[in-house]
Amino acid sequence: MSNLLASLASSAGTLEAYGRVLETAQNNVANASTPGYAKQRLELYALPFDPDSGVTGGVGAGKLVSARNEFAEQAVRQQTSGMGYQKQLVDSLTALQSNFDISGKQGIPQALNNLLQSFSAWGATPDNQAARQTVVQRATDFAQAFQQASNTVAARAQDTQQQIGQTVDHVNQLVGELQGYNRIAMQGNKNDGGLSARMHSALEELSSLVDVHATFESDGTVSLMLNGQTPLLLEDKQFSLTTSLYQPQNPPPTNPAGPASARIQASDGSDITSQTRGAQLGALLHLRNQILPSLIGDAYQAGDLNVMAKQFADRVNQLLTSGNITDGPPAQPGIPLFTYDTTDATAAAASLSVDPAVTPDQLATITPGPPEVSNGVPLALSALASPVQDADKVNGLSYSQFYGQIAGSVGTALNDATNSQDVQQSLLSQAKDLRQQYQGVSLDEEATILMQFQRAYQANSKFLTVLDQLTQSAIDILR
Amino acid sequence: MSSAALVQQLMSVRQQLDFASGLLAKPSPEAMDSCTSVLETAGRQLEEWQPAFSQQAGDAAALEEAWRLRRSYVRTVRLLQGASEFHLNWSQLRGAMTGGYRETGESAPVVYGHRISLHG
Repeated sequence: MSNLLASLASSAGTLEAYGRVLETAQNNVANASTPGYAKQRLELYALPFDPDSGVTGGVGAGKLVSARNEFAEQAVRQQTSGMGYQKQLVDSLTALQSNFDISGKQGIPQALNNLLQSFSAWGATPDNQAARQTVVQRATDFAQAFQQASNTVAARAQDTQQQIGQTVDHVNQLVGELQGYNRIAMQGNKNDGGLSARMHSALEELSSLVDVHATFESDGTVSLMLNGQTPLLLEDKQFSLTTSLYQPQNPPPTNPAGPASARIQASDGSDITSQTRGAQLGALLHLRNQILPSLIGDAYQAGDLNVMAKQFADRVNQLLTSGNITDGPPAQPGIPLFTYDTTDATAAAASLSVDPAVTPDQLATITPGPPEVSNGVPLALSALASPVQDADKVNGLSYSQFYGQIAGSVGTALNDATNSQDVQQSLLSQAKDLRQQYQGVSLDEEATILMQFQRAYQANSKFLTVLDQLTQSAIDILR
Repeated sequence: MSSAALVQQLMSVRQQLDFASGLLAKPSPEAMDSCTSVLETAGRQLEEWQPAFSQQAGDAAALEEAWRLRRSYVRTVRLLQGASEFHLNWSQLRGAMTGGYRETGESAPVVYGHRISLHG
């Protein structure tokens, strides 16, 4: 009788185990299209069989094991972060590039070209009042072009700061969402496939914003570390990020009144800006703290637009003040044409203007010499178009070349980012494919796959080394 | 060789590299094997055609196509590195999880037992 009851119990246990297998399979089917869902499987184990002692064997249901390969998930998140970085950089640089025209038909290059031509025309007819008037008008246009360029870049910096704030808010909101999921898991729902799917979906979205490392704990909760160093979430405790503008003090700034930098702070107030390099937030910080300051300056640099504006204004003023308006007697010395804020190296472009007190007949024409040259000043100013002397150059280049270099650096950065985005898109697809390949793969299958891969890598690497030399030498030969 | 013919040759090699990239984006063992033969063909053709390139030195269209080829090469390399890093890191992680670390700091090798891998 007891053996019969034991057999019935065994059958019931086996049926229950298979029932749970069916339930798991059903769950897999139901969630097939749920974002972030990974197939689950139930581990079955054999029960001991010894009829003499009433142990009737059968099958028992073990733990529900997620087939999700967390390693593959982390690889996808890593590539998602890379994609977030490149995409943001392309978007921001595309907007910035539109402000740096190199066709010469608008903005600074056009204004510079027009001003240099007006110097040349004035040199041909030094006493012509209309030619002098044109010089003053073109100089005004030139100053306005610098003001406009500088203000546009400053507005981009402000927009970027706003985007940084929005991204930080979004990060905190997603971490808060994951904190809620952790609380559910801590209540004993760690094997809930739907919960796991929601967690992974939120993690993937989060990884496009920040470079985050996720570790799944045995209780089903996820711990998040920003860049693998700064905690964002531990069990049900969230550590929020904040952003602010600040003026660094160490080392002492060379431009204390210059544009402030963006800073990211951890919940304990520590500055983690330098750690925040990846994903969308990393790209925004790179733009805000490095690319834009290279144009309009910050605490430690003047910025290329300011360097160009200051040097051009100084050189024009120097040539005008070294000449005479009339040779007298007494000789009437020339006066400066341009003014700008001399107290802040980062404000030269934005404050560049033509002194409103200067009238066309106050432009100095005569170089006193000896020998005296009646149109020496406009000729010297015209020479700024094709400079020979170092004093007529900026960083060893003509002003047109220097501007071309500024615009070119933005264009090159955009080109590089576009190419990198293209590669990154392929890497993300690859990581997703590898994640798919690894789901549900047994260790035996995996061993075979890894061995095949190792052999294939060696063969492919060999040919790619050859192609590296051949593609590079093709460029070298055709240059 | 004319400029157009050279551009065509470079384009042909680039298309092969783009095809290899497509295979590496879904890096199954079979795809990796196919990739090897594609890369071998691309390398052999480029090597064979290269002596004639100097006839078109300075040709803007050919140089532009050579840069496109280089970018395709860079993408192919990055994809091979991506797949390689994935498997290498996973092997190391599994080694550390199952066998710990060696005295020198690297993870223990993964022991798969005795297997024969036949390939034809």
